[in-house]
Amino acid sequence: MEHLGVLTRALRNVSRRKIRVLLVVIALGFSLAIMISIPAGIVANQEATQNLSENYETMDTPRGSFTISRPLYEITGVCLNSSFIDSYSILPTNITAGAPLYEGDSGRLLMSSNLSDYFGVGVGDKVEIYGEYFSVVGIYEPAGQGSSGTREVYMNISDAQIITGNAGNFSRLDIYAEDVSNVDGIAEVIEAAYSDELYVTTYEDRLESLNNMQEMCQTTLENAESTLGQTQATAFQEIVIAIGATSLIVLFTMLYTVRERTKEIGILKAIGFSNLNVMSQFMIEGILMSLMAGAVGIVIGIVGAPMISMLLLPSVNPFSTPQRGFPGQTENFGTTLSQSVTATPDPQTLLLAFGVAALLGALGSLYPAWRASRTSPMEALRYE
Amino acid sequence: MSNLVLKTEKLHKVYKLGTRKVHALSEVDLQVRKGDFISIMGPSGSGKTTLLNMLGCLDKPTQGKVILDDVDVTKVHEKDLCKFRKYKIGFVFQTFNLMPYLNAIENVELPMEGTEKSKDKRRKRAQELLEIMGLSKREDHRPQRLSAGEQQRVAIARALANNPTILLADEPTGNLDVQTMYEIVRLLSKLNINHGTTIIMVTHDSQVASRAGRMLFLNDGRLLKRERKGMHLMKGELTCPGCRKKIQSNHKFCPHCGKEL
Repeated sequence: MEHLGVLTRALRNVSRRKIRVLLVVIALGFSLAIMISIPAGIVANQEATQNLSENYETMDTPRGSFTISRPLYEITGVCLNSSFIDSYSILPTNITAGAPLYEGDSGRLLMSSNLSDYFGVGVGDKVEIYGEYFSVVGIYEPAGQGSSGTREVYMNISDAQIITGNAGNFSRLDIYAEDVSNVDGIAEVIEAAYSDELYVTTYEDRLESLNNMQEMCQTTLENAESTLGQTQATAFQEIVIAIGATSLIVLFTMLYTVRERTKEIGILKAIGFSNLNVMSQFMIEGILMSLMAGAVGIVIGIVGAPMISMLLLPSVNPFSTPQRGFPGQTENFGTTLSQSVTATPDPQTLLLAFGVAALLGALGSLYPAWRASRTSPMEALRYE
Repeated sequence: MSNLVLKTEKLHKVYKLGTRKVHALSEVDLQVRKGDFISIMGPSGSGKTTLLNMLGCLDKPTQGKVILDDVDVTKVHEKDLCKFRKYKIGFVFQTFNLMPYLNAIENVELPMEGTEKSKDKRRKRAQELLEIMGLSKREDHRPQRLSAGEQQRVAIARALANNPTILLADEPTGNLDVQTMYEIVRLLSKLNINHGTTIIMVTHDSQVASRAGRMLFLNDGRLLKRERKGMHLMKGELTCPGCRKKIQSNHKFCPHCGKEL
């Protein structure tokens, strides 16, 4: 048989009013869950804003260009300058074995080292692509990609057009003007000549788009930072409300309990319990109830933190409304940010929640317990 | 006098009901010696419970003194009165007032909480008291599983837990049937005779009151001068309420007329 003590009595008292305690514990649990979830939401928002800032800093220049949907024939006024093109060559230069690929090298190709490793082929070997045989003239190291980089081959454009069944077709054509002042004129000529097939973007257009995008990113970043500030303010208000609600729930429950048990208080005092004894019993009961609520709150907090923070905090996704700019790029950007906002309470917050629960339990039951302790035993004994 | 355990001097208690003053007690002088078994009788509103509350340190008089073990408790600060209630007074109530969430032995242990007694000693003392009350087999029963008489016996055991100077019983038989009523009165008599417990009992019932050693009468807050001896005499000897012959206090039945005592 267990020995009697103030804790035992407090536990018995808490457990003998199961339904009431259950309801109060659930209500308190939700308040505490809010307290747990909101800081987690704030951390997630901060991380999201940080990610956004980093994304903005490391974002690549978008590859804006024009495309041609059907064969492009000779364009009047545009000349082919091989020396100029060489300096803008897209061919890899870091050849690790064999030789580079030159213009007109039909039936030959350059292969990335990771692809050559994958197939076990080397310089001089023949490989079959879409039924055509090509000899490997050189192996190159994919720049900055390492072994996990893109596995690819480079070949003469006419060979590529043939094996893919796109003879004479281009997906993109870069045109360089010798004189910058002629760019707009050339662009107009090309667009006029191929109005149904071409979409021309000049360097200035690209620059403007890039500026627009940078501007948009800057705005986005500012929006996110402003949202974060707003989120923090809202979170502070909500935490204050949750703390207030928790304290009030404990306060009213304990006031009701004290009133309901007035006669018991009278008996305790009549048999020699001091004011402090009576006060401590009611405070311990309040704290016990709050700790139980703390446990419930932690469970709700762990399970429901993402949902609670989503419901209670302003949206941290700056792309929640349509934005101007490059559609593909912004979508990716927005999705990445949106997905990164997942509030997960850390163990410290959970531990702190227990402390806060105990503190609020003590705070909420302080006045009712004090009132209980001040009850006149004679009056209390008369209470029915 | 060395064996005087409780004394009141010109005790007055005045309540205010709106603008009206009600004299609940007037000039009550009472002397209680160690081992006394006193019953206080009086009609409703005569001040019986008020007097008991003064003697039990639950209330303070408007005027006068209550001297308990040579200390005027009317001068003791409220926060220290709990010690008097804990160690000097044992209360028995009409409605038993046991804690419903504690079993019999825990109820008896309750007043010992916070005393210097170890947990084991508290348990042992509670067991001893329940044995005296004939409730050894009911230790782990909660009040709702005990009969009214058993509940009152647990309440008496609880009142005696800290071996108080005086046991105050407020209508202890008021909620009991006749048979249980006599059981409880007999138990109080035994405690008084066998254990020397000083008892003050307030009651409406003259038959119950007559079982005490001294019968006092209270009317309109005044203690009447007439005082009667009860049927029970002190220490070892009793008078059989049936045949009025003297008998030993340890008898359960009168050897002369066979009446259950």
